[in-house]
Amino acid sequence: MRKLQTSLGHRPGKRFLRVGGGALALTLLAACGGNGGGGGGNSASADGCPEGYPERPIELIVPFAAGGGTDVGVRLLAPYIEEELGGATINVVNREGGGGWIGWNALRAAEPDGYTLASLNTPNLISGYLNPEQGIESSLDDFTLIGNVVTDYGAIAVRPDDDRFGTIEELIEYAQENRLTATSTGVGSDDQLASLSLNDALGTQFEGIHGGGAADSLTAVVGGNVDVMFANVGEVATPHENGQLKVLAVLGDPENRGELLSDVPTLAETGLEGVEDIRSWSARGLGGPGGMDEGLQQCIADAAAAAIQNEEFVAAMAEQSLLVDYRDPEEYRQMLEEEEAMVEDLGGQFIW
Amino acid sequence: METLDSIVSGFSVVLTPENLLYVFIGVFVGMIIGVLPGLGSSATMALVLPFSFQLPAEGALIMLAGIYYGSMYGGTITSVLLRLPGEAASVVTTFDGYQMARQGRAGSALGIAAVGSFVGGTVGIIGLSFLAPPLADFAIGFGAPEYTALAIFGILMVSFLGTKSLTKSLVAAGLGLLLATIGQDPVTGSPRFTMGSLELLGGLDFLVLAVGLFGIADVLYHLEEEVRSNPLATKLKRVWPSRKEVSQSKGAIARGSVIGFFVGILPGGGGVLSSLASYGVEKRIAKDPTRFGRGAIEGVAGPETANNAGATSAFIPLLTLGIPANSATAILFGALLLQGITPGPFLISEEPDVFWGVIDSMYIGNLMLLVLSVPLVGIFIQILRIRLTILGPIAIIVTMLGTFSINNNVFDMWIALAAGIVGYFMMKGGFEPGPLVLAFLLGSLLENSFRTSLAISDGDLSVFVTRPVSGTLFALIVLAVAAAVFGHVRSRRRRAAASAAQTAPVE
Repeated sequence: MRKLQTSLGHRPGKRFLRVGGGALALTLLAACGGNGGGGGGNSASADGCPEGYPERPIELIVPFAAGGGTDVGVRLLAPYIEEELGGATINVVNREGGGGWIGWNALRAAEPDGYTLASLNTPNLISGYLNPEQGIESSLDDFTLIGNVVTDYGAIAVRPDDDRFGTIEELIEYAQENRLTATSTGVGSDDQLASLSLNDALGTQFEGIHGGGAADSLTAVVGGNVDVMFANVGEVATPHENGQLKVLAVLGDPENRGELLSDVPTLAETGLEGVEDIRSWSARGLGGPGGMDEGLQQCIADAAAAAIQNEEFVAAMAEQSLLVDYRDPEEYRQMLEEEEAMVEDLGGQFIW
Repeated sequence: METLDSIVSGFSVVLTPENLLYVFIGVFVGMIIGVLPGLGSSATMALVLPFSFQLPAEGALIMLAGIYYGSMYGGTITSVLLRLPGEAASVVTTFDGYQMARQGRAGSALGIAAVGSFVGGTVGIIGLSFLAPPLADFAIGFGAPEYTALAIFGILMVSFLGTKSLTKSLVAAGLGLLLATIGQDPVTGSPRFTMGSLELLGGLDFLVLAVGLFGIADVLYHLEEEVRSNPLATKLKRVWPSRKEVSQSKGAIARGSVIGFFVGILPGGGGVLSSLASYGVEKRIAKDPTRFGRGAIEGVAGPETANNAGATSAFIPLLTLGIPANSATAILFGALLLQGITPGPFLISEEPDVFWGVIDSMYIGNLMLLVLSVPLVGIFIQILRIRLTILGPIAIIVTMLGTFSINNNVFDMWIALAAGIVGYFMMKGGFEPGPLVLAFLLGSLLENSFRTSLAISDGDLSVFVTRPVSGTLFALIVLAVAAAVFGHVRSRRRRAAASAAQTAPVE
């Protein structure tokens, strides 16, 4: 019953201020294009597609609730993919539960015929099957990767009036001496992994307090019940600008972090030692069931590539403080494998 | 005065033909879908969300908000007529509302709920207009220890609510608490009692459980009874509460407005707690508490008022701090994002048309609901004239469809059926489903906030008493328990003395 067609009316944008992220993503793509990424180089049109595809509506599963961050992003993207696939119909379907695995299981069970796709959220996807407690038998091979859409880097924020620490250096120093509570959006979430990687590298004593979602984290820190907010740029940028929070560091790659929160240093740019390689992010990409025909995969990936990099979409995401970070199927796989290694290491040491 | 100016300018946003239409569509759709079992307000809003972002921001928000409070009212209709709570907050309404319906007083129950909802909603809006910023700061100061206290308070209240035996209420509540432990452990993430099923990892869904225990169980139970009589189709007296009933409910409505407004602001658990608290208060201060659970009109008026006042004040943290207080306001948050508006402390100054337009649309919407309910209540109670042998199967089909639509999941339909069978046997044994589902809801709040409190304090139990608000709440809990035990002992002695006095002359 919740299968509804999405279509995006062209509303005059209210505040198209932060288009910078888009420009960056485009330059990044230009750089990638130079390497001659697999197959996409010869033609961007849909002529690699199997004849007649798509002849019926495509179901795009969002494994989280309607109205949430992932859902909003997917609903904004879907009309552009429809356009790129020559007027296809995409039905966005919310199948929430099990930390995203209700939706991903439905995806795995579907035919790899290009008519069922889903939003893949990492590290949730990866920590789901790596955590032996969860009992989920899966791996990346169960999915056909289409491309990465958004990379939302981790961020560390505190209350602006917290007089114990006002910079990341002061926070780390304090946390090495004292136990501090830190928000987390669940066991094995990127927020928990971020605080664990700092504990691992710097001997800090951050203790993750698991809440339901980013809104709970914000409530807990602004309300003074948890000391430090470990979250993502997209979740703290607006409260930072509003003065509700003070973001101390971004856990991103200094070379590829976008324009968001440009007044805040990345961890590598601070005076701290041993943190150069610490990265944390939550990424949202697209995928289908494993074992999809390569021609079909390429066809969908090409359409998705053009849609994801559409300037209007990039600008709409930037309005929500989200960095569009397109990666083709091959680069996306590399990114997820890197993430898999990190989750396996931290999870094995600290969580399970 | 600045606020007054803003309120006036908000009306100029709402009172355009276009936006009035959106208010009307919102409350009408909300009310109708609220009537369909299983389809709660958030599910309905999620359905409409994709369409809404083609509208201008004010129109979209006005319509979605209308669905939210409209379905609150619609949920009441099924709670009263079929004992099928459409959402958590209307579970309490079933206690007396359904009894009233069975006595042929469905019209009075629905009428007083409409009046109460209107008053509660209006009080909520006035409070929201004038008190929003300072209250929002107070509400987010509520941390895990405070919620622990509130949850314990709620669970205590649940056990006092039962109309039959206290022991049976406690057993049902205990079962609810146990069911709440199914799913992922909130701290370690390991699965509990899921029997390897991924579907159970997220825990049982409240709506699914409620639909089964109330709706399906009730149909099964009464289909059996049908053979002997058809109690529902007996008599329908009036369609509107009598003067006496209105004056009986006045106090309950006034108290419900205030309770609902303040409890509703709390992000996390406001909805259920507000109607529960109102019911508890009414039963406590009533001259004759035994009327409750047997069709006391205050038992409908108070909670329904509180429910609506709370639904309105739940907008305070969303609109002033950008923090959604429940799943329905979370969808409104998403709708704002889709419109390119980020909710937060500057929403009022940056988007005054949206903020005040939505607030003022609620005044208009509440008025529309009241007007709509006059003819619709008359139509809806006709449902009771339908023979149960026909109504029952239809209700089950609609219920199952609604259940599927909650998460697009067939598994939930099996859970609802299983809960229906369990509920049937509970009713046969004289156990009520109310304490079970309420304890289920409060159970996860209790566990989460208790364990989070201890994680924050590093295992130090004093955290519950050293914080001013939670310390006060715990002191109140101790007093309430002491008073209850004392009262129980005293009434027992009195009864023993009375029976001794009675038996003496006979001998």
